[in-house]
Amino acid sequence: MKELTQRQIFDYLFNNGIENFIGVPDSTMKYFIEQGFKKNKILITTREEEAIGIAVGMSLSRSNSLVFMQNAGFANSLSTITSLVQLYKIPMIFLIGWRGFLKNDAPEHTKIGKIQPKLLQALSLQSKILNEKNWMIYCDWALTLIKEKKPCALILKRDFID
Amino acid sequence: MIRKEAISIIVEKMSNQPIISANGFISRDLFEVCDKNSNFYMIGSMGLASSIGLGLALQNPKKTIYVFDGDGNILMNLGSLTTISKLKPKNFIHIIFDNSSHESTGGQPTSTNKISIDAIAKAVNFKAFRCNSKKDLDETFKKIKNISGPIIILMKISKSEKISKRVSLPPKKIKSRFMKSF
Repeated sequence: MKELTQRQIFDYLFNNGIENFIGVPDSTMKYFIEQGFKKNKILITTREEEAIGIAVGMSLSRSNSLVFMQNAGFANSLSTITSLVQLYKIPMIFLIGWRGFLKNDAPEHTKIGKIQPKLLQALSLQSKILNEKNWMIYCDWALTLIKEKKPCALILKRDFID
Repeated sequence: MIRKEAISIIVEKMSNQPIISANGFISRDLFEVCDKNSNFYMIGSMGLASSIGLGLALQNPKKTIYVFDGDGNILMNLGSLTTISKLKPKNFIHIIFDNSSHESTGGQPTSTNKISIDAIAKAVNFKAFRCNSKKDLDETFKKIKNISGPIIILMKISKSEKISKRVSLPPKKIKSRFMKSF
């Protein structure tokens, strides 16, 4: 996704009630994170589960969070999503970078990239894939779910090779 | 001293501050000793009590947040200590009940009879205290009144013989009454 769009997505979510941006970086969303750093709103954690835990503490204090991660970290987080986020019905937005979306991405991403849609479905975690055209509609969708106290995921495709 | 006794001594020294308690026997003991709306029983997601506590501490700078953790639990999320240290929440008190075992799953050993969690905590700039007895707890709680966090209290305990009952509250109820409590 283009640099400008990533920055716009950050600003849009930040201006519409998401107060905390916590996670483990992914180059897929490099500019999103960079924009957050400019506003001094990014908290980098050591693991994705840790980020989710912090977001839960924030949510218990009525402050909404987005947790960002690569899909490798999403795989790390499965048990935390089921036994904490979904168990206690904690609202938060996951922003997940979809490595392995391109067939010629690095080999370590192939398998998780392939099963990611099925994992999201198996978890019953509602998700939308963002692109240059639909991002604002799906950010609004996510913000509505947060107001309804439901977690959801926004997916960013890794559509380049470096 | 067993964990249940240590928990009783500690909660008596507290007023109504929020407690995030780790899964397994720690939450069960707290539930039996002193169930309160301001207790958040983390019944799953092993390792994350300190992270949930950090989120609360950052959002509620005027409230002291207590985390009741275990050695097995914190060893699953040691990185959390570095994140907490980076953010330096003054209102964060992390109590680790250390019996060098995964007692809830049958008493399998952890590494804490060979390594010191309080030394690890000190290395990442926590104010760390080690307690072995009621007297140590009394003295430590007097000391921490005048210092700011993040603080770790490593409470060395022995294994229990009796198992406390499960937390019988539904998770949604644990959450809603906790949120209303402050």
